[in-house]
Amino acid sequence: MSAGPYNYSYIFKYIIIGDMGVGKSCLLHQFTEKKFMADCPHTIGVEFGTRIIEVSGQKIKLQIWDTAGQERFRAVTRSYYRGAAGALMVYDITRRSTYNHLSSWLTDTRNLTNPSTVIFLIGNKCDLEGQRDVTYEEASKFAEENGLMFVEASAKTGDNVEEAFLETAKKIYQSIQDGRLDLNAAESGVQHKPSQPGRNNLSSDQQASKDNCAC
Amino acid sequence: MESVTQKMDKEYRNTEDVQTDHILSKRLSKIIQTRIETDQEALDALKQLSTFYTENSLQARRNLRSQIEKRSLDINQQFLASFSEVKESFDIVYKDVAEMNDSIKDMTKRLHNSKIQTKQLLNISSQLQQERDHNISEQKILDALIGRFQLSPEDISVFQGSKKEFLMTNDIFAVLDKVQGIHDECKILMQYGLQTLALDIMEQMTLYQESALEKLYRWTQDHCRNVENSDLTDLITQAMARLQDRPVLFRYVIDEYNVCRRSKVTEDFINALTRGGPSGNPAPIEMRAHDSQIYVTDMLVWLNKAIVMEKHNLQLLMKHCDKVDVDNMVREALTVICEGLCQPLKMRVEKILNVPSQAPVLYSIVNLLRYYRKCISKVVNEGLVRETLANLQSLCENNFFGTLQQQVANKLVKVEAPPRDLSPTLAVTNLLAVLRDMLSTANMSEGREEDMAKITTCIMDPLLRAVNEQAARLPPTDMAVYMLNCIYEIYTCLELFEFMEERLERLAAQSDAQIDTLTSEQVSSLVANLNVGPIYTILQERNHGPLSELPGMEPSNLRSFLEKMCHLTTHPDALLLQQTNLLSSSKHKRVVQKRAFEVLLAIYRQVHVAVHDPSNGYDSPQLIFDKAPEELEKALL
Repeated sequence: MSAGPYNYSYIFKYIIIGDMGVGKSCLLHQFTEKKFMADCPHTIGVEFGTRIIEVSGQKIKLQIWDTAGQERFRAVTRSYYRGAAGALMVYDITRRSTYNHLSSWLTDTRNLTNPSTVIFLIGNKCDLEGQRDVTYEEASKFAEENGLMFVEASAKTGDNVEEAFLETAKKIYQSIQDGRLDLNAAESGVQHKPSQPGRNNLSSDQQASKDNCAC
Repeated sequence: MESVTQKMDKEYRNTEDVQTDHILSKRLSKIIQTRIETDQEALDALKQLSTFYTENSLQARRNLRSQIEKRSLDINQQFLASFSEVKESFDIVYKDVAEMNDSIKDMTKRLHNSKIQTKQLLNISSQLQQERDHNISEQKILDALIGRFQLSPEDISVFQGSKKEFLMTNDIFAVLDKVQGIHDECKILMQYGLQTLALDIMEQMTLYQESALEKLYRWTQDHCRNVENSDLTDLITQAMARLQDRPVLFRYVIDEYNVCRRSKVTEDFINALTRGGPSGNPAPIEMRAHDSQIYVTDMLVWLNKAIVMEKHNLQLLMKHCDKVDVDNMVREALTVICEGLCQPLKMRVEKILNVPSQAPVLYSIVNLLRYYRKCISKVVNEGLVRETLANLQSLCENNFFGTLQQQVANKLVKVEAPPRDLSPTLAVTNLLAVLRDMLSTANMSEGREEDMAKITTCIMDPLLRAVNEQAARLPPTDMAVYMLNCIYEIYTCLELFEFMEERLERLAAQSDAQIDTLTSEQVSSLVANLNVGPIYTILQERNHGPLSELPGMEPSNLRSFLEKMCHLTTHPDALLLQQTNLLSSSKHKRVVQKRAFEVLLAIYRQVHVAVHDPSNGYDSPQLIFDKAPEELEKALL
């Protein structure tokens, strides 16, 4: 925000999801503040962070929702999936259970977001190689099978954190360029800067109704 | 003589021989020729003879000769006697003259001597005279010199004073000027080659100067604390101006002044706190210690005033000082003088902070401290004062934020269930009221941006977490509405203030997410109510034959869909979810409603197209759908 609130061309909405304690808030903090936050408290509901990045010479504001991993907040956090252009799905490489839950997270994401949402799988805590419980290959295979982008990162050291967020943005930007992403759709998670939340677009609501009908 | 006589005798004899006759004749003739009558002598002689030769007798004639001789003898004897008398007289005279001569000779000699002596004397005296003249002129010069290059006894007494007491007057400054003048003029003496004299005088003047300055220093040191006393101000300020030539003495005076004023001002502060003014007016500051705001204000106002006064006095003290860095001196001195004030202030403020207070009270104390810290730092911004005020400020700030956090935590300690109307709970509205109050105050304070951000974080973060906690326990629709209501409340509160853009952006984004959720729920509800679910599903399916043949797509069924749509145009709220009606923001409600209707319209449009599509085998589409989608849209939106 320090660069001036209107000094960007697009807003991309991200959502960070994954089991409790996999380091979602730390990843966000590392990305926005470039610092590791030790003793990070459990997120209640959702937290919010922004950062302006540059992709292909375009200034893009990332509006990132960091969701609570706790099951009891699932209802609250679900609201934020809908408008996300990018979903960072995080697991902890030292805890197999967090990896095992990925498919349920992925189902949620697929159900609640639109098809063009870029899903990026992050295996966090890669600095704890000694305690590794999920191999890179296994996760990589899972990502490939489900058409996800994948990287192992560390919120503590900052390794690959920047890359994960930036790669996601590049992919979204590419979708815009390719015309695969409808900028006017509310659920695209992308806004042109000057436009106010113009959500009265018909197609978007059709989409919404489809979702509802599907449920 | 002998020879002459012999010669004459010879001649005589010669002549005698030759002329014997002749001489005789001659003598005779002479006698004959002599005329006795003419010869007076003879006459006299005769006359004389007549006196004693009375008788012409033979006897007489025989005796005559002897008689004459006798007579001549008598006369001669008489003569001799007379002459001897004369001679004696002459002898006496001679003797006298000789004596006189001797005397005169002696006198002459003495005169001569004295003359010689006098000359020497004269020489000496004239020399002395010259010396005297010389000395007189030298004395004049010296007098002039002394007059010019020395101090008069009066001058000296001015700064040495009587033995017991040194009386400070303005004269001392004149004397000091004089001493300095003399000192300076000695350089002229030096130029004229009088190095020794000049150096001596300079040394002497330096001594005088030192002694005078020493006196001045003692006096000033004793009296400097009373600089504001109008009788002394002039003397003290002048004395300070003089002393600045002696940095050490000057420093000592300032040090003494600082020490005196420090204890004085500290004492005054304690008195103002505990005793108040004379006869209790103004009342002692501690009288109102129960009201911490007034208490702190009074103390800080007093301090601010006192410090400004001290600065004023210091400036007065060094009014005439032009050779030192007065500003710097004043600053340093103030730092020392004010040191004593820190401890009493610190103790009291800390005491206030130790007692639990309301966050707004603490915040006003924070602002008081900030304001007066700023005021005071303009006067004194060093040392203990600066440190104390900074410490107190940060202590108070920490205390404030701690208290605020505690207050917020207390209000949110139990997670209340949202009320049936899904309006924000009391805790939420209470906290927002606190937030509004705090922000309104913060908005007018120093460093408001930072304060407002901190206060907002302090209240908002726990509040939002609490709202999330509350919402998480509700079914999705209720959750969305409750969240929206809370966010709306928060948004309208924060909207009033500056520097909230980031928070508002976040709230807006959160709002949008919840509106999406609610819209989706509302649409589901509408679809169910209007019973268009099956119709829509059929429409989405491909490879179905003519629609009119499918169950659920009968004209009557479609007709009833349109009727319900028409009903909505007149009663738009009728089929709204109960929760949607509970939205506090009419804007949110309108948005949800509008978007839900848009979905319905979109479905209607599709059905409308399908009904009018001949391939679907409807007999009289106009009868089924007598309203164009545009008409409905106009009526609904």
